[in-house]
Amino acid sequence: MKTLILGLGNPILGDDALGLRVAALVRQRLPPGSAIEVDEEYWGGLRLMERLVGYDKAILIDAICTGTHPPGTILRLGPDDLPTQHTASSHDVSLPTALQMGREMHLKIPDDIRIIAVEAANVLDFCEQCSPAVSAALPAVVERVLAAVN
Amino acid sequence: MQRITIDPITRLEGHGKIEIFLDEAGDVANTYFQIPELRGFEQFCVGRPVEEMPILTNRICGVCPEAHHMAAAKAADAVYHVDPPPTAKKLRELLYSAFYVTDHTTHFYALGGPDFVMGPDAPVAERNILGVIHKVGLEIGGKVIQCRKYGHTVVEMIGGRKVHPCTSIPGGLTKGITAEQRAEIEQMGRWAIEFAQFSLKLFNDIVLGNKAYVDLILGDAYTHHTYYIGTVDENNRVNFYDGRVSVVDPEGKRIGKYAASEYTDWIAERVEPWSYLKFTYLKKIGWKGLVDGKDSGVYAATPLSRLNAADGMATPRAQEEYDKFYSTLGGKPVHQRLATHWARLIELLYAAERWVELATDPEITSDNYRTIPTEKPTEGVGIVEAPRGTLTHHYQTDERGILTKVNLIVGTTNNYAPISMTIKKAAQAFIHKGAVVTEGALNRVEMAFRAYDPCFGCATHSLPGQMPLEVIIRNARGEIVDVLKQYC
Repeated sequence: MKTLILGLGNPILGDDALGLRVAALVRQRLPPGSAIEVDEEYWGGLRLMERLVGYDKAILIDAICTGTHPPGTILRLGPDDLPTQHTASSHDVSLPTALQMGREMHLKIPDDIRIIAVEAANVLDFCEQCSPAVSAALPAVVERVLAAVN
Repeated sequence: MQRITIDPITRLEGHGKIEIFLDEAGDVANTYFQIPELRGFEQFCVGRPVEEMPILTNRICGVCPEAHHMAAAKAADAVYHVDPPPTAKKLRELLYSAFYVTDHTTHFYALGGPDFVMGPDAPVAERNILGVIHKVGLEIGGKVIQCRKYGHTVVEMIGGRKVHPCTSIPGGLTKGITAEQRAEIEQMGRWAIEFAQFSLKLFNDIVLGNKAYVDLILGDAYTHHTYYIGTVDENNRVNFYDGRVSVVDPEGKRIGKYAASEYTDWIAERVEPWSYLKFTYLKKIGWKGLVDGKDSGVYAATPLSRLNAADGMATPRAQEEYDKFYSTLGGKPVHQRLATHWARLIELLYAAERWVELATDPEITSDNYRTIPTEKPTEGVGIVEAPRGTLTHHYQTDERGILTKVNLIVGTTNNYAPISMTIKKAAQAFIHKGAVVTEGALNRVEMAFRAYDPCFGCATHSLPGQMPLEVIIRNARGEIVDVLKQYC
């Protein structure tokens, strides 16, 4: 089974960086020589779909702004659920549409795509730090990701 | 008074919103297009070394990092008073041309095209790239994916990374390309030319071959008489990477051209109380409000604007299409905003041709790809044409090259005034007796801003692609009388 763990985010946009931070922490926890690939990505839409091609399983970590959960809340979603920060793009298509296109193009799209989303407090101010609530949630997010891999 | 809100993204932060106010008769009285701006980027940059800007500013935008990379690199060149060698300029422009091919392709097939291929009244679930594939053929999807792959490959070869390029530095580039890479880039570029021609033929067959669509494009609902700007080369032909910014009036007469360092003589910014984003206007003409005409300093900076502001295209096939564009639409300038989609495809062909021209340039594989800066850094401006409009980066530093002031005017900022005007006019044309607003009418309003492909906050990448739409209609007392929702 080919598995990809993909942290999504912008490293200088406050809580939007959380997916990237989680990816870095998960990478440290995996045993040397692990077949599981960990990477970072910054795009939604078609580009995100193209990145997922060739894997059996993908776990995406991203910020989300539902406005209905306290910052730091961890949500587990599928690709057809609420859009997170990077599973959507105003300049091409949403992730579900992109995935359907990929499948119709007979590209190898993972059958199992899970999104671990974390409610963000601030994704509008440029800064290099996550908010305290999101920072406090990061260890638990890492455990969720590792559990999802297994 | 009734109020309709078109809220493109109802569940996410950082969204754009259209508010339509109806009068007692249910007709459109006014519209407001609001764009939230990401905060504090300029301050985030102050205190950092200017050479970081080409990699830092491409984090502003999740869509066109290549444009910010290039504008920042050119501004940093200017800050250090260094002129990169020809090979460096050509490599940057080659990367940029491949990026343009990818970006314009994606816009046409995923955003702009579906309105025409599927029709403005098609259900929203079909009015997307999947609908295009189902209607026109599966092989179209394959070509789009292939085109994007080639574009990304060239960006990685020259820019050093798949996603955010990192090789442009003050004075040039950190690396060149090999003969093998050059040959591969040329081959991909030749494919891109064919694909661009295919795309123009598709537009010709489906859009220009359909009288209803031609009438929609040429109709008054999407027409505005404004000034236009766009970068041109020394022969006044469209150029995306370098040149001077040409400014033409609503009659198509060039009133001047400005170099990057002169931009503050031409462009001024103003704030309106109801919006976070600034409006820009032509300083020499002045601000008269959101109105058309020669006395109004409102201007547009789009693919259509670039064609209007230039005398032609610098490559032969694109020039043929340029001539056809103006002969079909009644001469220069073209004011009909939906023609932007056609202009974008002509630019796609130009970018593909330029890609091959540069890939076959004898200097492109030279090792002379950087001039080491020797001057003391001070101040500089860099301008490129981003796909969505002219992009200006202006930096000031201390003598160590540490940034003391940063000002950016991004593509969508240029177009904020004309977008607002186009939305209002489209709303007035298609919404009557507001109690019965149909999805088709609302989509025609959305089409007004889709033509510009605005970049909300130029990094507010949190927007769903096909814009789940919620329209709330309120009566004069603010009570909700109807709600329309559409999702995809």
